[in-house]
Amino acid sequence: MNRENKKRKYDKKYYRTHPCTDSFTCKVCGWTVVSAGAGTDHRNHCPNCLYSIHLDNKPGDRESECHGRMEPIGVWVRKNGEWAIIHRCVRCGKISSNRVAADDNPMKLTALAMRPFGSTMISREEIRGMTASMEG
Amino acid sequence: MKGKEKRKEIYRCLNCGWTCVILEEEAALEHCPNCLCGIHDEDREGNECGGITEPVGIWVRSEREWEIIQRCRFCGEMRATPVTEQDNRIKILSIASKPISSPPFPIERIGEMTKIMGGSGETGGK
Repeated sequence: MNRENKKRKYDKKYYRTHPCTDSFTCKVCGWTVVSAGAGTDHRNHCPNCLYSIHLDNKPGDRESECHGRMEPIGVWVRKNGEWAIIHRCVRCGKISSNRVAADDNPMKLTALAMRPFGSTMISREEIRGMTASMEG
Repeated sequence: MKGKEKRKEIYRCLNCGWTCVILEEEAALEHCPNCLCGIHDEDREGNECGGITEPVGIWVRSEREWEIIQRCRFCGEMRATPVTEQDNRIKILSIASKPISSPPFPIERIGEMTKIMGGSGETGGK
């Protein structure tokens, strides 16, 4: 185990190939997060509020010195049909994409996906006008 | 002769071939108004990339301010560009509705959860 701890400390790519089993407390909502139950070896965001912390420049390197909060700004569908959360660092503006975990808050996820439809930027009248013009 | 020349440029999208005229006074287009794709000139470290960035999501920054989240086909970097007046509305709505058409959990579960919450908006479980 000692050798493993040393490796973890000095090997920069340790977390790229090894699962991270540390538990942490969410800095945003205070939720206690354990690594079990995520359905993935790399838990990188809080399952309750979906916020993340800007630690990596490349996945798993722990190289970033920013450590800003990363706000969930949207979701997208990857080629395999899986959802991923788009995170944006509040401090430096970096945008990154993270896979959803099995125990992520489904209400928060759906709210994120529905956000454009609750906004008034494209109004109902505009959509109605578009469909009318397309029908001819 | 120089003064008579009309200062305008023609924008041509490398992805869908859409062309439109940009007048000199207007700022250069960051993405194609038709397919919302752009060109990835430089990544965050300043290395040249040149890949096509395709739209993957919509970010509602505020009520009247939306941004298109693009992902580079070549290097996979994500970036955001503001939605402009002439952008294709149908395409924007189509991107926004993509996640809803393939939910990661059964839709019935949402109904169950709302019932459990009693409409109070709390997620509980602490």
